[in-house]
Amino acid sequence: MECKLVPSICSYCGTGCGLLFEVIDDQIVNTLPMKTHPVNEGKLCIKGWNLHEHVNSFLRLKQPLIKTFGRFIKADWNEAIGLAADRFRNIIDQYGPDSVGVLVSAKITNEENYLAQKFARAVIGTNNVDHCARL
Amino acid sequence: MQDTVKAWLENGTIDVFLGYKKVDNHPLPHCFTKARLEELEDLVVSPDRYPLEKIATHMTTAKPEVKIGMLARDCTQRALNVLYIWNQLDPEKIQTLNVNCCPSPLKEKADCSYLRPATVGDYKKEKGVNNAALLEQLSEYGQEERLGRWMYEFQKCIKCYGCRNICPVCFCKECSLEHEDLIKTGALPPEIPVFHLIRAVHMAGRCIDCGLCEEACPMDIPLRLLYRKVNDIVAQVFDYKTGTSASQSPFNILGDSVTLEPKPIQLTGTDS
Repeated sequence: MECKLVPSICSYCGTGCGLLFEVIDDQIVNTLPMKTHPVNEGKLCIKGWNLHEHVNSFLRLKQPLIKTFGRFIKADWNEAIGLAADRFRNIIDQYGPDSVGVLVSAKITNEENYLAQKFARAVIGTNNVDHCARL
Repeated sequence: MQDTVKAWLENGTIDVFLGYKKVDNHPLPHCFTKARLEELEDLVVSPDRYPLEKIATHMTTAKPEVKIGMLARDCTQRALNVLYIWNQLDPEKIQTLNVNCCPSPLKEKADCSYLRPATVGDYKKEKGVNNAALLEQLSEYGQEERLGRWMYEFQKCIKCYGCRNICPVCFCKECSLEHEDLIKTGALPPEIPVFHLIRAVHMAGRCIDCGLCEEACPMDIPLRLLYRKVNDIVAQVFDYKTGTSASQSPFNILGDSVTLEPKPIQLTGTDS
Protein backbone atom coordinates (compact mmCIF):
# COMPACT_ATOMS: atom_id res chain seq x y z
CA MET A 1 0.00 0.00 0.00
CA GLU A 2 1.49 3.26 -1.06
CA CYS A 3 -0.14 6.63 -0.47
CA LYS A 4 1.46 9.85 -1.60
CA LEU A 5 0.26 13.44 -1.39
CA VAL A 6 1.83 15.22 -4.32
CA PRO A 7 1.91 19.03 -4.31
CA SER A 8 1.03 20.58 -7.64
CA ILE A 9 -0.40 23.67 -9.30
CA CYS A 10 -3.87 23.74 -10.81
CA SER A 11 -3.62 23.53 -14.59
CA TYR A 12 -6.96 25.17 -15.40
CA CYS A 13 -6.35 28.92 -15.35
CA GLY A 14 -3.63 31.48 -14.84
CA THR A 15 -4.31 32.01 -11.14
CA GLY A 16 -2.08 29.10 -10.17
CA CYS A 17 -3.78 27.66 -7.09
CA GLY A 18 -1.74 25.21 -5.04
CA LEU A 19 -3.17 21.76 -4.57
CA LEU A 20 -2.34 18.27 -3.47
CA PHE A 21 -3.06 15.11 -5.40
CA GLU A 22 -3.93 12.11 -3.29
CA VAL A 23 -2.19 9.18 -5.01
CA ILE A 24 -3.04 5.71 -3.71
CA ASP A 25 -1.18 2.83 -5.39
CA ASP A 26 -0.25 5.03 -8.36
CA GLN A 27 -3.86 6.10 -8.95
CA ILE A 28 -4.86 9.72 -8.41
CA VAL A 29 -8.01 9.42 -6.31
CA ASN A 30 -8.63 12.91 -4.94
CA THR A 31 -7.60 16.57 -5.05
CA LEU A 32 -7.15 18.72 -1.94
CA PRO A 33 -6.37 22.44 -1.78
CA MET A 34 -2.97 23.33 -0.30
CA LYS A 35 -3.75 25.13 2.96
CA THR A 36 -0.51 27.09 3.14
CA HIS A 37 -0.30 28.11 -0.52
CA PRO A 38 -0.10 31.91 -0.74
CA VAL A 39 -2.36 32.08 -3.83
CA ASN A 40 -5.45 30.16 -2.76
CA GLU A 41 -4.99 29.73 1.03
CA GLY A 42 -6.79 26.39 1.18
CA LYS A 43 -9.60 27.22 -1.20
CA LEU A 44 -10.37 26.02 -4.74
CA CYS A 45 -13.05 26.46 -7.39
CA ILE A 46 -15.14 23.60 -8.72
CA LYS A 47 -12.71 22.91 -11.56
CA GLY A 48 -9.74 22.64 -9.23
CA TRP A 49 -11.60 20.37 -6.85
CA ASN A 50 -12.30 17.92 -9.69
CA LEU A 51 -8.88 18.05 -11.34
CA HIS A 52 -8.17 14.37 -10.62
CA GLU A 53 -11.14 13.27 -12.69
CA HIS A 54 -9.79 14.25 -16.08
CA VAL A 55 -6.45 12.56 -15.42
CA ASN A 56 -8.16 9.19 -15.09
CA SER A 57 -10.93 9.81 -17.65
CA PHE A 58 -11.21 7.19 -20.36
CA LEU A 59 -12.14 10.01 -22.75
CA ARG A 60 -8.73 11.61 -22.30
CA LEU A 61 -6.67 12.09 -25.47
CA LYS A 62 -3.32 10.39 -25.06
CA GLN A 63 -1.95 10.58 -28.59
CA PRO A 64 -2.59 12.63 -31.73
CA LEU A 65 -5.46 11.65 -34.01
CA ILE A 66 -5.65 12.48 -37.71
CA LYS A 67 -9.04 12.85 -39.33
CA THR A 68 -8.97 10.66 -42.42
CA PHE A 69 -12.14 10.19 -44.51
CA GLY A 70 -14.25 11.57 -41.64
CA ARG A 71 -12.81 9.27 -38.98
CA PHE A 72 -10.16 9.88 -36.35
CA ILE A 73 -7.19 7.56 -36.82
CA LYS A 74 -4.39 7.27 -34.21
CA ALA A 75 -1.10 8.71 -35.43
CA ASP A 76 2.37 9.51 -34.09
CA TRP A 77 3.55 13.02 -33.29
CA ASN A 78 5.89 13.41 -36.31
CA GLU A 79 3.12 12.46 -38.68
CA ALA A 80 0.60 14.79 -37.01
CA ILE A 81 2.95 17.78 -36.84
CA GLY A 82 4.07 17.17 -40.43
CA LEU A 83 0.48 17.14 -41.63
CA ALA A 84 -0.37 20.32 -39.68
CA ALA A 85 2.68 22.09 -41.12
CA ASP A 86 1.78 21.04 -44.68
CA ARG A 87 -1.79 22.28 -44.29
CA PHE A 88 -0.60 25.61 -42.81
CA ARG A 89 1.79 26.01 -45.76
CA ASN A 90 -1.06 25.40 -48.24
CA ILE A 91 -3.46 27.79 -46.48
CA ILE A 92 -0.84 30.57 -46.14
CA ASP A 93 0.20 30.18 -49.82
CA GLN A 94 -3.39 30.27 -50.98
CA TYR A 95 -5.06 32.86 -48.68
CA GLY A 96 -2.16 34.79 -47.09
CA PRO A 97 -0.75 34.73 -43.53
CA ASP A 98 -3.64 36.75 -42.05
CA SER A 99 -5.95 33.82 -42.70
CA VAL A 100 -4.31 32.14 -39.69
CA GLY A 101 -4.83 33.12 -36.04
CA VAL A 102 -3.06 31.87 -32.93
CA LEU A 103 -4.98 31.50 -29.67
CA VAL A 104 -2.83 30.99 -26.59
CA SER A 105 -3.69 30.05 -23.04
CA ALA A 106 -3.37 31.20 -19.46
CA LYS A 107 -2.64 27.60 -18.63
CA ILE A 108 0.79 27.56 -20.25
CA THR A 109 3.90 29.40 -19.03
CA ASN A 110 4.98 32.94 -19.93
CA GLU A 111 7.82 31.52 -21.99
CA GLU A 112 5.51 29.24 -23.95
CA ASN A 113 3.17 32.16 -24.59
CA TYR A 114 6.15 34.18 -25.82
CA LEU A 115 7.13 31.35 -28.18
CA ALA A 116 3.55 31.15 -29.46
CA GLN A 117 3.46 34.85 -30.40
CA LYS A 118 6.92 34.48 -31.95
CA PHE A 119 5.57 31.58 -33.97
CA ALA A 120 2.61 33.67 -35.12
CA ARG A 121 4.64 36.77 -36.02
CA ALA A 122 7.91 35.33 -37.29
CA VAL A 123 6.93 31.96 -38.75
CA ILE A 124 3.36 32.48 -39.95
CA GLY A 125 3.66 36.24 -40.43
CA THR A 126 0.47 37.50 -38.82
CA ASN A 127 -0.44 39.69 -35.86
CA ASN A 128 -3.53 37.59 -35.15
CA VAL A 129 -2.54 36.50 -31.64
CA ASP A 130 -4.99 36.38 -28.77
CA HIS A 131 -5.24 34.96 -25.30
CA CYS A 132 -8.03 33.15 -23.49
CA ALA A 133 -7.87 35.53 -20.53
CA ARG A 134 -8.93 38.36 -22.88
CA LEU A 135 -12.09 36.65 -24.11
CA MET B 1 6.18 11.32 19.00
CA GLN B 2 8.69 10.09 16.39
CA ASP B 3 9.72 7.18 18.63
CA THR B 4 6.14 6.01 19.17
CA VAL B 5 5.41 6.03 15.45
CA LYS B 6 8.71 4.29 14.73
CA ALA B 7 7.91 1.57 17.26
CA TRP B 8 4.39 1.12 15.83
CA LEU B 9 5.71 0.79 12.29
CA GLU B 10 8.50 -1.57 13.29
CA ASN B 11 6.40 -3.97 15.38
CA GLY B 12 3.62 -4.09 12.80
CA THR B 13 0.93 -2.37 14.89
CA ILE B 14 0.35 -0.24 11.81
CA ASP B 15 1.34 -0.49 8.13
CA VAL B 16 1.27 3.24 7.40
CA PHE B 17 1.16 6.42 9.45
CA LEU B 18 -0.63 9.57 8.34
CA GLY B 19 0.97 12.72 9.67
CA TYR B 20 2.45 15.94 8.42
CA LYS B 21 5.85 16.55 6.88
CA LYS B 22 7.47 19.90 6.16
CA VAL B 23 8.08 20.23 2.41
CA ASP B 24 9.73 23.55 1.49
CA ASN B 25 8.26 25.02 4.68
CA HIS B 26 4.74 23.85 3.82
CA PRO B 27 3.40 21.33 6.32
CA LEU B 28 1.79 18.76 4.01
CA PRO B 29 0.01 15.54 4.90
CA HIS B 30 2.36 12.61 4.41
CA CYS B 31 2.11 8.86 4.58
CA PHE B 32 5.01 7.40 6.59
CA THR B 33 5.95 3.75 6.01
CA LYS B 34 8.32 1.15 7.42
CA ALA B 35 10.33 1.23 4.19
CA ARG B 36 11.27 4.88 4.72
CA LEU B 37 11.68 5.24 8.50
CA GLU B 38 14.24 8.05 8.09
CA GLU B 39 11.43 10.37 6.95
CA LEU B 40 10.04 10.29 10.49
CA GLU B 41 12.60 12.92 11.47
CA ASP B 42 10.51 15.41 9.49
CA LEU B 43 7.22 14.43 11.16
CA VAL B 44 5.52 17.58 12.46
CA VAL B 45 2.18 18.56 13.98
CA SER B 46 0.83 21.04 11.51
CA PRO B 47 -1.38 23.92 12.62
CA ASP B 48 -2.93 23.65 9.15
CA ARG B 49 -5.39 20.79 9.16
CA TYR B 50 -6.15 18.37 6.35
CA PRO B 51 -8.81 15.65 6.53
CA LEU B 52 -6.42 12.79 7.39
CA GLU B 53 -9.37 10.53 8.23
CA LYS B 54 -10.74 11.09 4.73
CA ILE B 55 -7.41 9.96 3.26
CA ALA B 56 -7.61 6.92 5.54
CA THR B 57 -11.11 6.17 4.21
CA HIS B 58 -9.79 6.29 0.64
CA MET B 59 -6.91 3.97 1.56
CA THR B 60 -9.29 1.53 3.24
CA THR B 61 -11.49 1.55 0.13
CA ALA B 62 -8.45 0.61 -1.98
CA LYS B 63 -7.19 -2.02 0.48
CA PRO B 64 -9.53 -2.94 3.37
CA GLU B 65 -6.92 -4.87 5.42
CA VAL B 66 -4.44 -1.98 5.74
CA LYS B 67 -3.71 -0.86 9.33
CA ILE B 68 -3.45 2.91 9.57
CA GLY B 69 -2.04 5.13 12.28
CA MET B 70 -2.64 8.86 12.28
CA LEU B 71 -2.14 12.09 14.16
CA ALA B 72 -5.45 12.92 15.77
CA ARG B 73 -6.85 16.14 17.10
CA ASP B 74 -10.17 16.17 18.92
CA CYS B 75 -11.97 16.80 15.62
CA THR B 76 -10.16 13.82 14.04
CA GLN B 77 -11.33 11.65 16.94
CA ARG B 78 -14.92 12.78 16.48
CA ALA B 79 -14.74 12.17 12.73
CA LEU B 80 -13.31 8.70 13.34
CA ASN B 81 -16.17 7.89 15.71
CA VAL B 82 -18.70 8.84 13.05
CA LEU B 83 -16.80 6.85 10.40
CA TYR B 84 -16.74 3.78 12.70
CA ILE B 85 -20.50 4.06 13.26
CA TRP B 86 -21.13 4.23 9.54
CA ASN B 87 -18.78 1.29 8.82
CA GLN B 88 -16.36 3.33 6.73
CA LEU B 89 -13.41 2.46 8.94
CA ASP B 90 -12.72 -0.42 11.30
CA PRO B 91 -11.66 0.73 14.81
CA GLU B 92 -9.46 -2.38 15.05
CA LYS B 93 -7.36 -1.14 12.14
CA ILE B 94 -6.93 2.47 13.25
CA GLN B 95 -4.35 3.69 15.79
CA THR B 96 -4.36 7.33 16.80
CA LEU B 97 -1.60 9.48 18.22
CA ASN B 98 -3.38 12.28 20.03
CA VAL B 99 -2.15 15.83 19.68
CA ASN B 100 -3.22 19.09 21.21
CA CYS B 101 -5.82 21.23 19.56
CA CYS B 102 -8.92 22.92 20.91
CA PRO B 103 -7.93 24.93 23.99
CA SER B 104 -9.10 23.78 27.38
CA PRO B 105 -7.76 24.00 30.96
CA LEU B 106 -6.43 20.47 30.51
CA LYS B 107 -4.31 21.35 27.49
CA GLU B 108 -1.67 23.99 27.78
CA LYS B 109 -0.74 24.09 24.12
CA ALA B 110 -3.41 24.56 21.48
CA ASP B 111 -2.57 24.03 17.88
CA CYS B 112 -5.27 24.45 15.24
CA SER B 113 -5.80 26.52 12.10
CA TYR B 114 -9.33 27.30 13.27
CA LEU B 115 -7.97 29.30 16.17
CA ARG B 116 -6.78 32.10 13.92
CA PRO B 117 -9.00 35.12 14.61
CA ALA B 118 -11.84 35.44 12.11
CA THR B 119 -11.90 38.67 10.15
CA VAL B 120 -15.45 39.85 9.58
CA GLY B 121 -16.02 43.08 7.70
CA ASP B 122 -18.55 45.79 8.56
CA TYR B 123 -20.80 45.06 5.59
CA LYS B 124 -21.03 41.39 6.48
CA LYS B 125 -21.82 42.31 10.10
CA GLU B 126 -24.63 44.54 8.87
CA LYS B 127 -26.12 42.31 6.15
CA GLY B 128 -24.94 38.79 6.80
CA VAL B 129 -24.11 36.37 9.55
CA ASN B 130 -20.98 36.81 11.62
CA ASN B 131 -18.94 33.60 11.40
CA ALA B 132 -17.87 34.01 15.02
CA ALA B 133 -21.43 34.48 16.33
CA LEU B 134 -23.06 32.08 18.75
CA LEU B 135 -26.38 30.36 18.08
CA GLU B 136 -28.05 32.34 20.88
CA GLN B 137 -26.94 35.61 19.29
CA LEU B 138 -28.50 34.54 15.99
CA SER B 139 -31.86 33.74 17.56
CA GLU B 140 -32.04 37.36 18.71
CA TYR B 141 -32.80 38.37 15.12
CA GLY B 142 -36.45 38.11 14.03
CA GLN B 143 -37.34 35.23 11.72
CA GLU B 144 -37.51 37.42 8.64
CA GLU B 145 -34.26 39.19 9.34
CA ARG B 146 -32.53 35.91 10.04
CA LEU B 147 -33.70 34.48 6.71
CA GLY B 148 -32.49 37.62 4.95
CA ARG B 149 -29.10 37.40 6.58
CA TRP B 150 -28.68 33.71 5.71
CA MET B 151 -29.80 34.34 2.14
CA TYR B 152 -27.16 37.08 1.89
CA GLU B 153 -24.58 34.46 2.88
CA PHE B 154 -25.91 31.74 0.56
CA GLN B 155 -26.15 33.96 -2.51
CA LYS B 156 -22.39 34.54 -2.34
CA CYS B 157 -21.79 30.82 -3.00
CA ILE B 158 -19.62 30.19 -6.08
CA LYS B 159 -20.72 26.53 -6.18
CA CYS B 160 -17.27 25.03 -5.79
CA TYR B 161 -18.77 22.36 -3.49
CA GLY B 162 -15.51 22.40 -1.56
CA CYS B 163 -17.52 22.08 1.67
CA ARG B 164 -18.70 18.68 0.49
CA ASN B 165 -15.35 17.63 -0.96
CA ILE B 166 -13.23 18.36 2.11
CA CYS B 167 -15.77 17.04 4.64
CA PRO B 168 -14.30 14.02 6.49
CA VAL B 169 -17.75 12.56 7.12
CA CYS B 170 -19.01 13.03 3.53
CA PHE B 171 -18.44 9.55 2.18
CA CYS B 172 -21.72 8.58 0.47
CA LYS B 173 -21.14 6.62 -2.70
CA GLU B 174 -24.23 8.17 -4.17
CA CYS B 175 -24.32 11.89 -3.42
CA SER B 176 -27.61 13.56 -4.29
CA LEU B 177 -25.51 16.31 -5.87
CA GLU B 178 -24.28 13.81 -8.46
CA HIS B 179 -27.43 11.75 -8.80
CA GLU B 180 -28.33 11.43 -12.47
CA ASP B 181 -32.08 11.59 -11.76
CA LEU B 182 -31.82 14.74 -9.66
CA ILE B 183 -29.19 16.72 -11.55
CA LYS B 184 -28.57 15.82 -15.17
CA THR B 185 -25.06 16.06 -16.59
CA GLY B 186 -24.71 19.43 -18.25
CA ALA B 187 -27.60 21.01 -16.31
CA LEU B 188 -27.02 24.03 -14.08
CA PRO B 189 -26.22 23.24 -10.43
CA PRO B 190 -29.16 23.60 -7.99
CA GLU B 191 -30.51 27.04 -7.19
CA ILE B 192 -29.46 28.85 -4.03
CA PRO B 193 -30.22 27.90 -1.22
CA VAL B 194 -31.29 24.36 -2.24
CA PHE B 195 -27.84 22.80 -1.98
CA HIS B 196 -26.97 24.54 1.29
CA LEU B 197 -30.14 23.53 3.06
CA ILE B 198 -30.14 19.93 1.79
CA ARG B 199 -26.53 19.61 2.86
CA ALA B 200 -27.40 21.10 6.25
CA VAL B 201 -30.10 18.44 6.73
CA HIS B 202 -27.69 15.69 5.65
CA MET B 203 -25.22 16.94 8.25
CA ALA B 204 -27.62 16.10 11.07
CA GLY B 205 -25.94 13.43 13.18
CA ARG B 206 -22.91 13.51 10.91
CA CYS B 207 -21.22 16.92 11.31
CA ILE B 208 -18.48 16.77 13.92
CA ASP B 209 -17.88 20.54 13.96
CA CYS B 210 -14.30 20.40 12.67
CA GLY B 211 -14.74 23.58 10.64
CA LEU B 212 -12.83 22.32 7.59
CA CYS B 213 -15.78 23.26 5.34
CA GLU B 214 -15.72 26.84 6.51
CA GLU B 215 -11.95 26.99 6.03
CA ALA B 216 -12.32 25.70 2.48
CA CYS B 217 -15.18 28.07 1.62
CA PRO B 218 -13.91 30.81 -0.72
CA MET B 219 -16.85 33.03 0.23
CA ASP B 220 -16.64 32.63 4.05
CA ILE B 221 -20.19 31.34 4.45
CA PRO B 222 -20.66 30.54 8.18
CA LEU B 223 -21.23 26.83 7.50
CA ARG B 224 -19.99 25.72 10.89
CA LEU B 225 -22.69 27.80 12.56
CA LEU B 226 -25.37 26.39 10.25
CA TYR B 227 -24.43 22.76 10.90
CA ARG B 228 -24.02 23.47 14.63
CA LYS B 229 -27.68 24.53 14.66
CA VAL B 230 -28.71 21.32 12.92
CA ASN B 231 -26.80 19.21 15.42
CA ASP B 232 -28.21 21.28 18.26
CA ILE B 233 -31.65 20.07 17.15
CA VAL B 234 -30.32 16.48 16.97
CA ALA B 235 -29.03 16.82 20.53
CA GLN B 236 -32.40 18.18 21.70
CA VAL B 237 -34.52 15.56 19.96
CA PHE B 238 -32.39 12.42 20.31
CA ASP B 239 -30.06 13.38 23.14
CA TYR B 240 -27.25 12.38 20.76
CA LYS B 241 -24.02 14.37 20.58
CA THR B 242 -22.46 13.60 17.22
CA GLY B 243 -18.96 12.18 17.30
CA THR B 244 -18.60 11.94 21.05
CA SER B 245 -18.77 8.14 21.04
CA ALA B 246 -18.49 5.28 18.58
CA SER B 247 -21.80 3.78 19.70
CA GLN B 248 -24.92 3.66 17.56
CA SER B 249 -26.29 6.84 16.01
CA PRO B 250 -30.07 7.42 15.93
CA PHE B 251 -29.69 7.90 12.16
CA ASN B 252 -27.97 4.59 11.58
CA ILE B 253 -30.79 2.14 10.93
CA LEU B 254 -28.51 -0.47 9.37
CA GLY B 255 -27.18 -1.64 12.73
CA ASP B 256 -28.43 -4.61 14.76
CA SER B 257 -30.73 -2.58 16.96
CA VAL B 258 -31.69 1.01 17.57
CA THR B 259 -30.53 1.94 21.01
CA LEU B 260 -31.61 5.56 21.15
CA GLU B 261 -35.21 6.66 21.56
CA PRO B 262 -36.36 10.11 20.56
CA LYS B 263 -36.84 12.39 23.54
CA PRO B 264 -40.24 14.09 23.88
CA ILE B 265 -39.91 17.44 22.13
CA GLN B 266 -39.94 20.35 24.53
CA LEU B 267 -41.24 23.56 23.08
CA THR B 268 -38.97 26.24 24.46
CA GLY B 269 -40.03 29.13 22.25
CA THR B 270 -36.41 30.02 21.46
CA ASP B 271 -36.33 27.79 18.40
CA SER B 272 -34.29 29.27 15.60
